[in-house]
Amino acid sequence: MVLIILTYFSVLFFLILIISKAYKLASSPVHLRWELYPVPHESKEKAAYGGSKLEEVNWWTKRHKKNLLGELTAMFSEIAFLKAVYEHNKDLWFGSYPFHFGLYLFIVNLFLMIIAGILNIIGIKINSEASGFWGFYFIILNIILWTGSTVGLIGSIRIMFSRIVDKDLSLYSTPSHYFNIFIIGMLYLTALLWLITQSQPVEQMITYYSSIFSFSINYSLPFIGILHTLIALFLFLYIPFTHMTHFFTKFFTYHKVRWEDEPNVKGSKMQEKIAKQLQNPVTWAAPHIGADGKKNWIAIVTQPINKEDLDVK
Amino acid sequence: MSNKPIKQIKVKDISEDIEQLAEIDPQKLVPLPPPYDKVEELPGFKRLKQDIIETQQTSLDGVLAVGIPRKVSEEEEKRYIELFISGLKKLFSQENNWTFLEPLVLSMEHCARCQTCNNDCPIYESSGYQEIYRPTYRAEILRKLYFKYVKPGVFNRFQHGDIELNWNLISRLFELTYRCTLCRRCAQSCPIGVDNGLITHELRKIFSSEMGLAPKELHEKGTVQQLEIGSSTGMNPLVVRDNLEFIDEDVSERLGIKVETKWDVEGADVLLIHNAGEIIAWPDNPAAFAIILDAAGITWTLSSDLVGYDGVNYGLFYDDVQLARIAHKHFEVAKKLKVKKIVMGECGHESKALGVIADRVFNDTIPRETAMTLMRDIVFSGKIKFDPEKNWFPVTLHDPCNLTRAMGVIEPQREVLRYLAPKFREMTPHGVRNYCCGGGSGFAIMSAYNFLDWRMHISGRKKFQQILEAFSDVAPGPEVPKYVCAPCSNCKGQIRDLFDFYGAKEKSGLFYAGLVELIVNAMVDIKVPFIDFDMM
Repeated sequence: MVLIILTYFSVLFFLILIISKAYKLASSPVHLRWELYPVPHESKEKAAYGGSKLEEVNWWTKRHKKNLLGELTAMFSEIAFLKAVYEHNKDLWFGSYPFHFGLYLFIVNLFLMIIAGILNIIGIKINSEASGFWGFYFIILNIILWTGSTVGLIGSIRIMFSRIVDKDLSLYSTPSHYFNIFIIGMLYLTALLWLITQSQPVEQMITYYSSIFSFSINYSLPFIGILHTLIALFLFLYIPFTHMTHFFTKFFTYHKVRWEDEPNVKGSKMQEKIAKQLQNPVTWAAPHIGADGKKNWIAIVTQPINKEDLDVK
Repeated sequence: MSNKPIKQIKVKDISEDIEQLAEIDPQKLVPLPPPYDKVEELPGFKRLKQDIIETQQTSLDGVLAVGIPRKVSEEEEKRYIELFISGLKKLFSQENNWTFLEPLVLSMEHCARCQTCNNDCPIYESSGYQEIYRPTYRAEILRKLYFKYVKPGVFNRFQHGDIELNWNLISRLFELTYRCTLCRRCAQSCPIGVDNGLITHELRKIFSSEMGLAPKELHEKGTVQQLEIGSSTGMNPLVVRDNLEFIDEDVSERLGIKVETKWDVEGADVLLIHNAGEIIAWPDNPAAFAIILDAAGITWTLSSDLVGYDGVNYGLFYDDVQLARIAHKHFEVAKKLKVKKIVMGECGHESKALGVIADRVFNDTIPRETAMTLMRDIVFSGKIKFDPEKNWFPVTLHDPCNLTRAMGVIEPQREVLRYLAPKFREMTPHGVRNYCCGGGSGFAIMSAYNFLDWRMHISGRKKFQQILEAFSDVAPGPEVPKYVCAPCSNCKGQIRDLFDFYGAKEKSGLFYAGLVELIVNAMVDIKVPFIDFDMM
């Protein structure tokens, strides 16, 4: 029962923190344009060489349609294959990619397990005796778990090795970097040991998921299963406090900064927001700013400045 | 200070009593192609005088870009620390820094320290991989300070480590923020989207906006002079008109046609804003614009109002308030003249500051475009006759970072060159993956102490190498003139310094100028060569 309660708590905690962080980022003030080309939502031909609508004479008089497919393709190749790491840091990619690919498979597994757990409650059994589609579903679960834990473990060992041996990495690593790899490596290892040591590990997992959704304790996990679950729950509690939240903040770094090229058009929501932001009082202390804590941005930048204040100290 | 030898430098060493964190040794730099491969035949690296070393903070790398005292009294140190912390907190506040808060927080909190960005930094590579020039080095300092003073937490030391904030750190970091050209090539390769260029930009802001510390060339002689006198060159409205009148007369006489700069024409199609440095250093550039615009039948004008005739905006490099003040003047001038659009001359940072960044500094703006698009439009409009064979010499193109990486303006200038320069060839890499000239973020106008040597040996090294390689298929000596088209005033300044420093004109026949000069040189109606290598 303790494990089930811990599961509810960890997942809820994770969701609350992630959603609140995403909300905070989404409601950040409109920042100045800081896009970085190539921007993949430009037309296909422009995106190919990094061009933009600013290449066209009187660009503001023309309609520019965002190429959403281009954005999706760029995002997909970045997430699914870690394209930037492959192109710019191949040595690291050989560890980082399996490390991340294992996680992707575990996330897919999580959703498939949720479905299997719910189906189990309503009487559809997914196990080694199932046939037809559910038998296939069972095989897929096995493949994902075996592949994810094996590949992930190999990746963990490889990047732990790199973090220790490669001076470029070790110089900038704090204890948490080693711990993060270790704990995720343990997640893979315990999953693999669970698969190896138990005769019906997938069935055990499905029963556990059923218990979560039926608010019951009709499960029986082996020691290795409990250990694996505890590590997973710890990660739910731990990840929101680390840089590993890049799994979703990457959306903001790409879509809201790197690819954010929206012009400030008259009558737009953006213009409204900027108008409000320009009312912010400025408190920068350097004399040339001329701030007194009351004057707002617009006053600071448009009003005449005292010559003495402009001079450097 | 102790006299420890230079060891493997770590991030926390920025605060330590170490004699010097990096040593520039020309022998250990990435070699240049011949005939620049013999280090002993190249200009050396100026060592600073002892009195400067004793008084100024040179313990970063033995180079001075900005100059700040090496030591301060305990009381002063305490005051600077307090000021730095208050600036740090304001940097992460919506009120003071709404301009870059979201991108900055994202870059602070999500770096995986994977170092994927490192090999994309031309300064780090050219220096022979000096630790302090690693793009993540200064970013990591700010990150540690952020988690210590702005967002403290129980596990922060476990996650981010610790760092001591003292005078060593503040003074060295001030210098270090001027060892990155903000080219943002490193940001392109980050899988997470962290931007170390932005972090450097934001660090400069703490020093300027809170502590009142900025390089004289950018602040006192830059934005302040521009706001007071009208131009960072020191030209007031009267002088600029005089200078352009002289240029008009000189070029008219040379070419046998009438060249006339238009001033304060109300309702003109185009308000052209040059980087005023062109008027002083490369007068053929504004003259070429006048010839092309008149030949194309476009009504255009310059403004003689304060700031209106200088598109420079060094605020972009170090201070948002100064950036906004100058952009505001540019918009005011355009509104006063009721022009249809502003065209930004051949200047990368002007184009980015006014064309992109200023878009969200104010709400009531005037449409803007770069000279590249307008020139492409004119060249292919059929209004002017060209003979491309007049540009008979090999030409390569330097891509200014602000035009390409930051604005995506890649093809217009290339289309013109492919048409008007038959021997055009690309550098490798080019376009959006170009290398910075080494003079970005204001460096091109900073030459105090031995900073020029640093610019030439380190930050400009990769570009010089690329230029030489682009012409590797033609006679290497001065017998064939080779033209580097650099459509940006700052880049031209840096390339001029590079060619002077290495004697590239004499040894390799390397010349540089803009795009408009090539256009005019190819005009059928201009009978006298506009590009005269003997005069360059």
